[in-house]
Amino acid sequence: MLARPMESRVHRLLRCRDLGGGSFALEVDGPIPPTAPGQFYMLRTEHRWPVQLPRPFSLYDRAPDGSWGSFLVKPVGEGTRALCSLSPGDGVVLNGPLGQPFPRDVADPVCVAGGVGLAPFLLLAREAKAKGAPVRLLFGGRNRAALAGLEDLEPLARVHTSTDDGSHGFRGMVTGLLEDMLQKGEVRAGDVVFCCGPDPMMHAVAKLCEKLGLRCFLSLETYMACGYGVCNGCSVRVQGARFKGWPYSKTCMEGPVYESCELVN
Amino acid sequence: MLQTTLGSLRLQNPILSASGTFGSGWEGRQFSDLGRTGGLVSKTVTVLPRHGNPPPRIQETPAGMLNSIGLENKGADWFLADTLPKMKQLAAGGAGPRIVINIGGESIDEFVQLAERFSAAGVDALEVNLSCPNVQEGRLLFSTEPRLTEQAVRAVKRVATVPVFAKLSPNVTDVTVIAKAAEQGGADGITAINTLIGMAIDWRKRRPILGRGIGGLSGPAIKPVALRMVHDIARTVRIPVIGVGGVRSADDVLEFVCAGARAVQVGTAMFTDPTLMVRIVDDLRERLAAAGTTIDELCGSVHRPVPPAPGACQPDQGRGACV
Ligand SMILES: Cc1cc2nc3c(=O)[nH]c(=O)nc-3n(C[C@H](O)[C@H](O)[C@H](O)COP(=O)(O)OP(=O)(O)OC[C@H]3O[C@@H](n4cnc5c(N)ncnc54)[C@H](O)[C@@H]3O)c2cc1C
Ligand SMILES: Cc1cc2nc3c(=O)[nH]c(=O)nc-3n(C[C@H](O)[C@H](O)[C@H](O)COP(=O)(O)O)c2cc1C
Ligand code: FES
Repeated sequence: MLARPMESRVHRLLRCRDLGGGSFALEVDGPIPPTAPGQFYMLRTEHRWPVQLPRPFSLYDRAPDGSWGSFLVKPVGEGTRALCSLSPGDGVVLNGPLGQPFPRDVADPVCVAGGVGLAPFLLLAREAKAKGAPVRLLFGGRNRAALAGLEDLEPLARVHTSTDDGSHGFRGMVTGLLEDMLQKGEVRAGDVVFCCGPDPMMHAVAKLCEKLGLRCFLSLETYMACGYGVCNGCSVRVQGARFKGWPYSKTCMEGPVYESCELVN
Repeated sequence: MLQTTLGSLRLQNPILSASGTFGSGWEGRQFSDLGRTGGLVSKTVTVLPRHGNPPPRIQETPAGMLNSIGLENKGADWFLADTLPKMKQLAAGGAGPRIVINIGGESIDEFVQLAERFSAAGVDALEVNLSCPNVQEGRLLFSTEPRLTEQAVRAVKRVATVPVFAKLSPNVTDVTVIAKAAEQGGADGITAINTLIGMAIDWRKRRPILGRGIGGLSGPAIKPVALRMVHDIARTVRIPVIGVGGVRSADDVLEFVCAGARAVQVGTAMFTDPTLMVRIVDDLRERLAAAGTTIDELCGSVHRPVPPAPGACQPDQGRGACV
């Protein structure tokens, strides 16, 4: 009867690794079920969760045998702050893996990340590296400090960075970097872009891809209540054949990854 | 110990899901053994498909959340063909949870259609979502008018071959008047309460946060309101009451039972913990065993005078009766 290996259980925090720029990698003990890049988990602390609803996070990293996993968390509110102030041994409740990953059949995607939008790309980079074909990762932030997790990705992918202030890599926005790489022939027609980051950045990347004729998949960070398809609270407006004429799609079930042409603002 | 009855309907325990907060149950089946719940209540089904409200549809608030889903559902045809068979599979052929279909109509005729079709489809009970606008009465909500409530319930009862529960809205001056009207209409039970209308505002954008502006408040924030209403309704009507609003634990359930509920629904808390219903069933068994009581015995106990504890000092026993 188990259609997917989903679970809801308490895990122990192994450590909370400071990645700089205010972000942390929360490492928890296993078993972490097999999870495809882009899938997410609903998290909450076992005790003293200060809010009601659990919060969604992409799986950042996972031991090949599932004996541990980690989440890249940036404290922005009460829930994320509570998660980041846990101590080793404290309980974290995980529901997942949830949602649909980035398409599995794209050979050499161009990954574009902004801030904690880096999270889904570590697993993807690790997989590609293991196959001997490391992916291109364009990682943008306001400044060097905002590129939290860069050190984790550098050994796994062909990383190109951009910062608004030029403190690391390309000076400007990640869309500028993408155009720059296109000019240099490092990104070519027919490439497929995978993108995750703040809304304005995803908008800009999607628009640019449309202009350049590149297919583009976005991983949305929609506000969620349940994460497993029962509340209908995470719906976004969509179009396209796979939705069979229905104007809304549940981000937690059919997303969080959508092709940019499927989304209607 | 945990068994309870809602009129002619027997439940293996008093824990049901609340409409719209656990889908059909199918989505959450991996997380726990739903065969151990008392019942599964469907999301509101309407005659025709409804796309629902524009996003954002949810916003967390202190000790609760607001939602304005707008009854998004694919309509009765689709539900009967696709969803009901799945719910029946979860109910394991009748031994386990009861299947309750929550129906929503915008006219008496729509309620009747739904009641006929779902009765014929072999469900265990119907729950009538009265928080729906009546298009023939200037979109006045069925739930806010005793007359409309009675009409809708009576019409459903006339065609239904299974027990019918009327789900009441708390957004009224006196909920007992509405409960009485539902009883008058022939309801076999009352479900109380639906969400309390509320609002959240983003002052920086100078706009309401929810796409539709307003939404329904649920979660622990509304538990005291729900308890009070269940208490008042249980005192007013003779039919069984199903309590709902902010339940997160077995203790919450027992509070509703003391207030007069024969069964209890778990809603918003299922978002936080998809295994919660089954965990509450286990905790309930423990609590009742420890206290040496049953659901039946506890039901409505706040309405009865406190029985003298054995050996307790009775005021009329005079001086020196206790040592
Ligand atoms: C599929 C998915 C994957 C995600 N992956 C990650 C991840 O890997 N790492 C990470 O740090 N964050 C991730 N997020 C975002 C994360 O869920 C939010 O930051 C978190 O819910 C905020 O909770 P809070 O209680 O700390 O903040 P709240 O107090 O709820 O809100 C604080 C502020 O954050 C904003 N906010 C709240 N929820 C979201 C949201 N879902 N998206 C954008 N802004 C929000 C609020 O509007 C408010 O301004 C992901 C979201 C989704 C939907
Ligand atoms: C997201 C959401 C959707 C809901 N949808 C419905 C619905 O379709 N029909 C209905 O009768 N009640 C619906 N409700 C109300 C619940 O069934 C319940 O009456 C209410 O939420 C109070 O219980 P709670 O505090 O345990 O959630 C919904 C509630 C929520 C939070
Ligand atoms: S978050 Fe509840 S349906 Fe998607």
